[in-house]
Amino acid sequence: MFFLQSLLSGILTGGVYALAGIGMSLVFGVMNISNFAHGDLMMLGMYMAYFAFTLLHIDPYLSLVLIIPTAFLFGFVLEKVFIHRIISHPHQNQILLTIGLGLIMSNSALLGFTSDPKILTTSYSSSAVHIAGGISLSVPLLLSFVITCGITGVLFLFLSKTTTGLALWATSQNREAAQLMGINVAKMSALAFGLGTALAATAGALIAPTYYIHPMAGHTFLLKAFTICVLGGLGSVVGAGVGGVIIGVVESMSSTYLSSDWKDVVVFIIFLMVLLFRPQGLFGKKGEQ
Amino acid sequence: MKKVFVSIAAAALAAMPLLANAAPVKIGFINSITGKEAQIGENLTNGAAMAIEDLKAKGVQVELIKEDDGGDPKNALAAYEKLVTRDGVIGVVGPYTSGSANVVASRADQYQVPLLVPAAAKEEITMKGYKNVFRLNAPANVYSSVLLKAVAAFKPKTIAYVYAATDFGVSTVKTAQENALKMGLKEVANEKYQQGQPDYRPSLAKVKAANPDLVFLVSYDADAILLMRQAKEIGLTPKAFLGAGAGYTTAQFAQQTEISNLVISATQWTDDVNWPGAASFAVRYKAKYAKEPSYHAACAYEAVRIMGETGSKALTAAKLRAGLKAGSWNGIMGPVKFADYSGFTNQNNHPMLVEQVLSGKYETVFPAQFGKKKLVYPFTR
Amino acid sequence: MKQVTIIAIIAGIAAVLPLVTGESPYFIGVMISVLMMAALSSAWNILGGYAGQYSFGHAAYFGAGAYTTLIMISTFNFNPLGGMVAGIIVACIIALVTGSIVFRLRGHYFGLASIAVAEIVRLSALNFEFTGGAQGILLSDVSLWGVDLNSKLPFYYGMLLVLVVSLGITLYMRSSKTGFYLQAIREDQDAAASLGINLSFYKNKALLISAALTSVLGSLYAVYIRFIDTSAVLDLRLSIEIILTAIIGGVGTLWGPAVGAVLLVPLAEVLRSNVIGEALVKHGIVSEKSGLGIFFKDNLAHAHVLVYGIITVLCILYLPKGILGLFRRTK
Repeated sequence: MFFLQSLLSGILTGGVYALAGIGMSLVFGVMNISNFAHGDLMMLGMYMAYFAFTLLHIDPYLSLVLIIPTAFLFGFVLEKVFIHRIISHPHQNQILLTIGLGLIMSNSALLGFTSDPKILTTSYSSSAVHIAGGISLSVPLLLSFVITCGITGVLFLFLSKTTTGLALWATSQNREAAQLMGINVAKMSALAFGLGTALAATAGALIAPTYYIHPMAGHTFLLKAFTICVLGGLGSVVGAGVGGVIIGVVESMSSTYLSSDWKDVVVFIIFLMVLLFRPQGLFGKKGEQ
Repeated sequence: MKKVFVSIAAAALAAMPLLANAAPVKIGFINSITGKEAQIGENLTNGAAMAIEDLKAKGVQVELIKEDDGGDPKNALAAYEKLVTRDGVIGVVGPYTSGSANVVASRADQYQVPLLVPAAAKEEITMKGYKNVFRLNAPANVYSSVLLKAVAAFKPKTIAYVYAATDFGVSTVKTAQENALKMGLKEVANEKYQQGQPDYRPSLAKVKAANPDLVFLVSYDADAILLMRQAKEIGLTPKAFLGAGAGYTTAQFAQQTEISNLVISATQWTDDVNWPGAASFAVRYKAKYAKEPSYHAACAYEAVRIMGETGSKALTAAKLRAGLKAGSWNGIMGPVKFADYSGFTNQNNHPMLVEQVLSGKYETVFPAQFGKKKLVYPFTR
Repeated sequence: MKQVTIIAIIAGIAAVLPLVTGESPYFIGVMISVLMMAALSSAWNILGGYAGQYSFGHAAYFGAGAYTTLIMISTFNFNPLGGMVAGIIVACIIALVTGSIVFRLRGHYFGLASIAVAEIVRLSALNFEFTGGAQGILLSDVSLWGVDLNSKLPFYYGMLLVLVVSLGITLYMRSSKTGFYLQAIREDQDAAASLGINLSFYKNKALLISAALTSVLGSLYAVYIRFIDTSAVLDLRLSIEIILTAIIGGVGTLWGPAVGAVLLVPLAEVLRSNVIGEALVKHGIVSEKSGLGIFFKDNLAHAHVLVYGIITVLCILYLPKGILGLFRRTK
């Protein structure tokens, strides 16, 4: 009985993780950058959903219509102004720049919104659907999962069927070759970062009704997102999706059968195992560094 | 000439008491203004500010020198040393967190400046025999003993613990386990969780499967709400939810009426307790800061008031220490007397209160002499 | 002037400083924080700046030293020096395990893996009873051969000593075979390997030295404050602060980390105690009642991490070689 409940619960939570991971994977693939500000971008999405709900009275899931383009624009600008300049710098400097940007974002939020955790309570925040076997599924998590599947599907179509999308995908496979083929890789970078930001913000908005909103709330998800990317294969959208669900389930199962204390350690150990034994992840290509 | 001389002398004599009161007494205040505890820290800051104003209205001039420790014991130590050696304070109120309070307390006797801890819970802070360390609030073991006493009449048999992996969580549950043993309660589940997780359902499912009569919770603000939401979702319905202070006593928690109703919590103070000035303090606080005060605000208020009043008469650190040791007060935290008992030194034997969320409001339900409403048991949705 | 002479002079000045400034505990306390961060960053620099291996999890060694020392003192009645030695051993074991995992990885993976290892150490310390769990370890009394450990001076000189040793080792390494090999590894690992340099051996050597020094600092910190918990000694934020200090000062230079510490630590303290805000008001530059005045009063103190973030971004964009990088043409 525990098993099924744990599994389903993990899959649903994993869906949100997946969205965060996909955004990060896209940035990794196209720009070869570890974005340590990813968690803070999620946090911004959470706050956007919160303000849309309390000031404009829009349901968090509906407010995605506003959040996605706004976040995309923010990420696009961020890339053009800051990230672009360090695209050929050593890895560690890139990491440190994104760390710095992340610190600015989270501490500005702290100054602006104070550290009071904000709670977004919708009418269905604690509702559950009860199915056979005494298993309950959280309504907001179910909705998030459905929306995540939808967005992932749309993204996949974009990447495989549209010209821009194909150009993006090509750049993530091999930046130099894409450039030689005449693709404007600078524009692709901005596009990728914008998309990555929009996905992160969406993940934040989706989890907002079941979590709490706080300037430091993004940090919990940052390391999880990295693990998911590595597990799925850096640059693989499908990989990150699958990786997210796997991590969600692993966490849930560890919590149930081991103990809640050690579940993060299990995730980190998996992370290290993947790095050591299959660094290309589940769906990445071998030899990609 | 003689007349002028006499009038000057008379004026000087008349001015003497004014001169004596002219220099305000300096008291230090160490608080978590930034950092993880900033939200609670805000309550302490506001409570202290109100105390200074009230003292001023009574003619007692106190200069409160505020320092931020950000919840970091290293900073608390630096703050204490700055206050004591450079700012010339004769007493210090604070810090808020137990870790910081422990570190500062260990230096108080070295610098010989009295420290009054307003709200830190760990027992050991006043169990080391430090002569210069005083504590106003009840220590951690009282949180659980008062909660268990409140429900003892209903003869519960089993208890489960769900608590944050923090200093406060772990130490409060340890003392709760001792108290539960004395009451003959059987422990059926023990779920320690890392804060900040989005999903507590696996832990709560394990608790539900153990079918406990009592669920004893220790969480901070946001986790408390998340836990209760997910508890409702999976249908965890014990005979009582017992919250040990912190997240289960905030206004925000009570407002989540779908999940907070009938949750019982232990607190150092409520606004409807019949201690002198308690109710009006809450009203004035709300008018001034547009928020309900937490018990931390009341603790800080009373601590600063006691330090200020005693300090303005004592004028030196040594006399302040003597004044704190000997004195007794009766204010919004009820009767206060710093005494040595049961291994504690300079500890105020503060009676904690038990409140329950009824119709979206906190009502004091235990002990009987403070409570106006009756405790509702068992818990239902 | 030879670098050794410079180190000696500056160490000499630092050694005399407390005696000259009248031993104000507050001032010495701030200086201890400066020396500690300077030493931590210099130790990190041996691996990060010279070998080019940026460890994002150095707090693990700091915490190893701190926890081992306090556990040895409180549970096994060791004296602080014995605890320190035990701490070095534990830190080196963690370093060897870490090295065997992360040194095979390149680029992003290396940094991320070092974080993962450090987090595993932190979570373990948080969950086990013998490390005090979430409650941490509080030390009541500690003594060492009659030296008064309630005074700050022993710790001031202790941190200073570790800093001098770090700088000395860095200086020695720069012109030794090990140093040349490490710099070759930093510039191009594959070329270095093709020349026959044993990558693993030299990287681990740098890591062990760095970890040992960091661990000693952790031990000193633990006995100085007498209270530790995972958020004080094992937090990711500490690891990042160490790196930022080195970067802003000038990574890969001898004095860069120390310069970074001398600038950033007092800045943080000044922001924390709101000295800037108060000074602006006192000198009438900003009126206390104005919007700006109130903003400064309420918020400047909280802004210390924000300032760090801004400095970091500006530094990476415009001064990637750090402050000392301005003064160097080639390194």
